[in-house]
Amino acid sequence: MTQAFAATGAAPARKPAGIFLSAGSLIGPATIIVAIGLVFPVLILFRYSLNRFEPRVMMVEAFSLENYAKFFSDSYYIDIFLTTLRVSLICTIICLILGFPLAYVLARTQTRFKNLLIMLVVLPLFVGNAVRAAGWMTLFGSKGFLNSTLMGLGVIETPMQIMFTEQAVIIGIIAVNLPFMVLTLQSVIEGIERNVEEAAFSLGAPPATMFWRILWPLALPGIIAGTILTFILGMNAYATPVLLGGPQFKMMGPLVFGQFQLNNWPFGAAVSYILMVSTLVLTASANILMQRRYRR
Amino acid sequence: MAMTGTFGSRRLGRWLLRGAAGFTMLYILTPLIFVIWLSFFRQEIPSFPPDGYSLRWYGELAGNERFVSGFVLSLELGVIATAIGLAVGVPAALCLSRFRFRGREGLNNLLLLPLMVPGIVLGMALYVAHVEVEIATGLPILGSLGGLVAGHVLVVIPWTVRLVTASLAGFDRTLEEAAQNLGANRWTTFRRITLPSILPGIVAAAMFGFVSSFGNLEMSMFLVGPGRTTLPIAILQYLEWKIDPTIAAVSVIQILLIGAAMLITDRFVKISRVV
Repeated sequence: MTQAFAATGAAPARKPAGIFLSAGSLIGPATIIVAIGLVFPVLILFRYSLNRFEPRVMMVEAFSLENYAKFFSDSYYIDIFLTTLRVSLICTIICLILGFPLAYVLARTQTRFKNLLIMLVVLPLFVGNAVRAAGWMTLFGSKGFLNSTLMGLGVIETPMQIMFTEQAVIIGIIAVNLPFMVLTLQSVIEGIERNVEEAAFSLGAPPATMFWRILWPLALPGIIAGTILTFILGMNAYATPVLLGGPQFKMMGPLVFGQFQLNNWPFGAAVSYILMVSTLVLTASANILMQRRYRR
Repeated sequence: MAMTGTFGSRRLGRWLLRGAAGFTMLYILTPLIFVIWLSFFRQEIPSFPPDGYSLRWYGELAGNERFVSGFVLSLELGVIATAIGLAVGVPAALCLSRFRFRGREGLNNLLLLPLMVPGIVLGMALYVAHVEVEIATGLPILGSLGGLVAGHVLVVIPWTVRLVTASLAGFDRTLEEAAQNLGANRWTTFRRITLPSILPGIVAAAMFGFVSSFGNLEMSMFLVGPGRTTLPIAILQYLEWKIDPTIAAVSVIQILLIGAAMLITDRFVKISRVV
């Protein structure tokens, strides 16, 4: 255990004991923090989801699945779940279609602006979802840029209602998730040799054929990874649906926080688990399906 | 004929590709462009075209108690969480890339887990854990600054582990052996050989860790106690109420800060190689 760098097998003659720490003490603190700070709370959360909520005393110890049953027997909650699923799927597909060309250009570009372009993709990612929602609010409001411009041009007479619609939420989530898709695809495309594309072209393949027969299958690991990542982010979206969808529009993320604010921890815990497990099952099965379909 | 046809369609394809890439780039940047534009409006209501331009919203920010205290708290949290996250994350990354032992893959996944668990679920889980620990020990953890810091450390660790491990992936270990053969002790070897090669990874980890802590919204919502707000929470709560140049100016400050952090990091390690 006490042979940290001696594991390299070098210089056995020099072993100043105790200067370097063992493997266990190197990785121990981080492991303990994550185990206590994450694994333990996530397990407690599951235990809470089996408890019962009583309006006056807040929570009663119980051991039942009634919170889960409540969710799946009430069309109000099922609708929220289906909306979340629909929005995430639409966003994921559009992200893939929009993200691929930019990822390809970023991967293949030789200019010195490449780093700058990548920073421009990363910057919005770090700025936070609420700030970006503010940008869309400026654009979509009833007196916003879009309505003012269209009314100024005489295209429409009265302002369109864009804010607080599902469309606004979808547009917002796509913008939030695009950088993740682009960066994931870009790193995979960079690993594909330019030569294989040239080979296809020199054999007379038109770009579309080259794309479907060469680029798509070779980039598939990145496509799967990017799709799964954007889908998960869509399922868990919080700030964008709250700000662009308004109080009437509900997705799973805001539902969890809403239950927390109502002090209904057991139901909030159950909704958390339904969200987490359903996302996990869907992404895992999509992954298996894609792998099987494209295995050659 | 076939050749020219292919060349023609290739050129057309290239222009379509560039057009599509440009559109996506514009899409990603559109919200930021509008936030920046709005922050310079003279009138308070975001209507177009603006009546005129003014810098007064920036001037008034300094007097806005809520945003100033939110900004200070987020900054403190980011710095403390990053420092602790690096202190435990860098050794863990060294261990993961140095040793081959059973359960190594599992430990690696465990340390990356905080990035996988949705922020909203993580926040809820931490909250109920704080409830339980407070009941068990009687310590005032619920809504405490310590609880908030611990949550943020959790966010920093996976970035550190991932980026420092990645920076060690291409490291030639014979260099360390050479140094030791030449008489360097292990501390000198670490300081002169190992540290310089993982430094870009550490800088990148510090940047990504700080930024993800600074911008953390979902988890923090559950953990801030009464009377305490981080900047992202203050921004969200304000936007739930209204949109005006004040909030746009706050956002621009955040964009500038993060942009500056990225540019500084880029001097040490190319952003395009670590994301």
